[in-house]
Amino acid sequence: MNAPAHASLDDKERVFDRIIPDKFRPIIDRNACLNCKRCVKECSFGALEWKDDRVVYKGGCVACQRCSAMCPARCIEIATVPSGLPPHASYTERVRQGINAQASSGGVLLCSCGTDMPYGMIFDDLILDAAQVTNPSIDPLREQVETRTYVGRRSSRVMLSGDGYVTESDGSGPVVAMDMPIMFGHISLGAVSYNCQRSLFQAAKDLNILAGSGEGGLHADFLQFADHINGEVASGRFGVTPEYLRRTAAVEIKVGQGAKPGHGGHLPGEKVSDLISQTRMIPLGTDALSPYPHHDIYSIEDLQQLIAALKESVEYRVPVGVKIAAVHNVAAIASGVVRAGADFITIDGFRGGTGSTPRVIRDHAGLPIEVATAVVDKRLNEEGLRNRVTVCAGGSIRSAADMIKVIALGADVAMVCTSALIAMGCQVCQSCHRGLCAWGIATQRPELTSRLDPEIGARRVTRLFHAWNEELKEVMGAMGIDAVESLVGNRDRLRYFGPNQKIAEVMGVKHVGEGWG
Amino acid sequence: MRSQEQGRGGGRNDLPSLPSYGAARPPGLEYIMGGCGIAGTIDVSGGKMSGEVISRMLTTMRERENGLGSGYSAYGLFPEDLKDLYCLQFFFDDENAMCCVEEYLKDRGDIVKDERVPTRKVPSMRPPYPIVWRYFFQPDPLSSSYLIKGQGPDECVVDVVMGINNGIPNAMCVSSGKDMAVFKGNGYSYEVAEFYELGRYSAQMWLSHSRFPTNTPGWWAGAHPISLLDWSVCHNGEITSYGVNKKLVEMHGYKCSLLTDTEVVTYLWDLLVRRHNLPPQVAAFALAPRYHDEIERMDPKSRALAEQLRITYKEAFLNGPFSILVGRGQPDITMIAMADRKKLRPLLFGRSADNKRLFAASEECAVRIVEEDAETWVGDPGSPMIASVGKGLIRNGTEAPFKGVL
Ligand code: SF4
Ligand code: SF4
Repeated sequence: MNAPAHASLDDKERVFDRIIPDKFRPIIDRNACLNCKRCVKECSFGALEWKDDRVVYKGGCVACQRCSAMCPARCIEIATVPSGLPPHASYTERVRQGINAQASSGGVLLCSCGTDMPYGMIFDDLILDAAQVTNPSIDPLREQVETRTYVGRRSSRVMLSGDGYVTESDGSGPVVAMDMPIMFGHISLGAVSYNCQRSLFQAAKDLNILAGSGEGGLHADFLQFADHINGEVASGRFGVTPEYLRRTAAVEIKVGQGAKPGHGGHLPGEKVSDLISQTRMIPLGTDALSPYPHHDIYSIEDLQQLIAALKESVEYRVPVGVKIAAVHNVAAIASGVVRAGADFITIDGFRGGTGSTPRVIRDHAGLPIEVATAVVDKRLNEEGLRNRVTVCAGGSIRSAADMIKVIALGADVAMVCTSALIAMGCQVCQSCHRGLCAWGIATQRPELTSRLDPEIGARRVTRLFHAWNEELKEVMGAMGIDAVESLVGNRDRLRYFGPNQKIAEVMGVKHVGEGWG
Repeated sequence: MRSQEQGRGGGRNDLPSLPSYGAARPPGLEYIMGGCGIAGTIDVSGGKMSGEVISRMLTTMRERENGLGSGYSAYGLFPEDLKDLYCLQFFFDDENAMCCVEEYLKDRGDIVKDERVPTRKVPSMRPPYPIVWRYFFQPDPLSSSYLIKGQGPDECVVDVVMGINNGIPNAMCVSSGKDMAVFKGNGYSYEVAEFYELGRYSAQMWLSHSRFPTNTPGWWAGAHPISLLDWSVCHNGEITSYGVNKKLVEMHGYKCSLLTDTEVVTYLWDLLVRRHNLPPQVAAFALAPRYHDEIERMDPKSRALAEQLRITYKEAFLNGPFSILVGRGQPDITMIAMADRKKLRPLLFGRSADNKRLFAASEECAVRIVEEDAETWVGDPGSPMIASVGKGLIRNGTEAPFKGVL
């Protein structure tokens, strides 16, 4: 393809590029430096070079912290470079950089990870409850507090027959039992490395929870984890084989994703290595495009057909879900999705992460997961559907507190991605889309991928979620609740302590200081 | 009847001077600490007991009340000609509310008989007193005024109760079952017994509750028992899953209007047993399920049912501390008594030497005061004791969850 004329820069114009200053810069303590060149090797972004018998900084540091973490003399510090730009409250540094980058490239700005815009986190405006006296708290170290969670479609009624039970014929489906109300969202092989995905799958197995396969099928090596994998069916249908559908523990149709609502997937050809080409079943080096819409879904009825077809393909043995991005009308959409037969529904909030997305979408489209979860839960309740379906919610679950709050707002399961990557080493440098991840997470380069030991990765993620689950038990115990099902949608256990009472009203959460009733 | 000193440890003068309400919903909520007493007795041989028996059982647990509310429900108390009619018993704050209710009822069936419920002024009880009135009602399922025309008579009555309690100001239907009635109000247990002259009634089963719901202000209609159709529930505890339970009953068309968690407990029993046809011990399991690791150790059939109940009815799970007494009048007069699965509230069962009478109460003294030689025992956490007229003791509360069902 010819580069568009406006994208080519002559040397005279390149000077403009230089007015985009670096935001970070490694500072090397020359007295301590051993001149071992380790940092030069570690910097996958090419920001350091060996010149005149010492390490010099070339520019382009993303603050991935790899060099400083690996420096044997611990002599590198990553400093934030103060902006030299004249201050302006509206034309912030970020805005000016964006303008310059587009004036140079003429293209859509790409970015990774969740939005870094300073929208307030509603989670931080919610306060949890605790039991006192008449409703005694429970000590999880001495008493059982249960966190087992089922994913799937529920019958709203059990009927007893002489020889056991039957469930209402139209509503029951297979369910997957997880030991805690957490699952990994879809992080595809391609967006992340083989070792990263292996770590996630191993952790899911060790924790007995589900991990999303991400788009693009399943590498043959990972079939061993199939019992803990929620297989994604995206519009590109890459890697969706009968075996994939037969083996995974759940199947999920991806309609939308929080970081890029209204967007499909795009894995650039450069990232389509041998490994990816085999897994996705596409030629080496070609772009893997999952277009924005599924070209066979233009209505709820179409979605219903795909759900039915998938259920047929899995012989009704595993639950079939649908993932949607949190958008303004999410409650009505969720209702339609449930009516179309989804056994579980995943809502992805607009702060969700991703390996690559247009920055304008990431930063400006969608709905916070806190609000989306609450309105979906409310709507499904009003329509008498909530007790049939499992609701999963994600998009910026940063801690056990966020997980607890999203459950109290109405989710059965918290879906987590970025936090798991951080546990493996991700520094949230927001450069995943460049494929150069210095920690071996968001890259396909073998020399980088090998930096992540899947055993260690799995162990760290396992410990993280185990700890969150313990914290969940502590909080539930403090609330006087001994099983997580009694926390789901229990907004009585939350109070709003933020600046915008309207948000609290929409979420159905009382203000701090308000009692029961 | 008892004197006012019975309210020791929290006499009338020690109480904060909170306003009291009749049938009108109070405007705000208050939190009043204190204990809760529940007591119930059933004569499984079908014999009748005077209301004095139950009031003695309840009033003896004097520490467990605060004078803000108490109540009794009686089963098997009406004469033959009224037994098969729905007895809708009301609190009205004014005549206007009464007229509205009568019009409402006439649109939906026949009022076969109506009467003032006999009450007596008790000087120590704080006004206002609502008018207490009962209607013996026969719903007309074909009436176009029902939300759904042609539904069963029970559903029609549920429709009527929800419609009135949520739509007609200053009127509250406090019981609506056949051959049963609820007597409750703002006051100490002995005052409420005196107010209704309970000694004038004899019934096959009595349930009772002293004290007021922990999280609601004193108002007559909010006192326990909370009743719908022939269900009545007395509850000691605090349901931490209230928000979740409320959503489940609301999804099934029940409307919560009584400002108390006990209301959802009542509707859950109605939903699971009457509508979903589950045997009481299976419904009890849904309300207080066994732990997953216990379920894993069950025999395959019980395990399959237990898992399915936990999955299907997870919103019915009553979390938090409770002990409840549940009464049902149809098809047999039945008492169900159970505590939460951690047994965070007391509950004790008893049986008379002749096996005819069974008891359930918060404290042993409540049983001993009426049956000195009773055999007493405690049930397992979450496991119901069930006794019914004609069938005797069906479960003593220590059996495997689905014994007699699977
Ligand atoms: S390794 Fe990372 S932190 Fe170090 S210089 Fe390179 S980009 Fe910057
Ligand atoms: S995954 Fe790697 S590239 Fe992406 S933000 Fe994290 S450290 Fe940076």
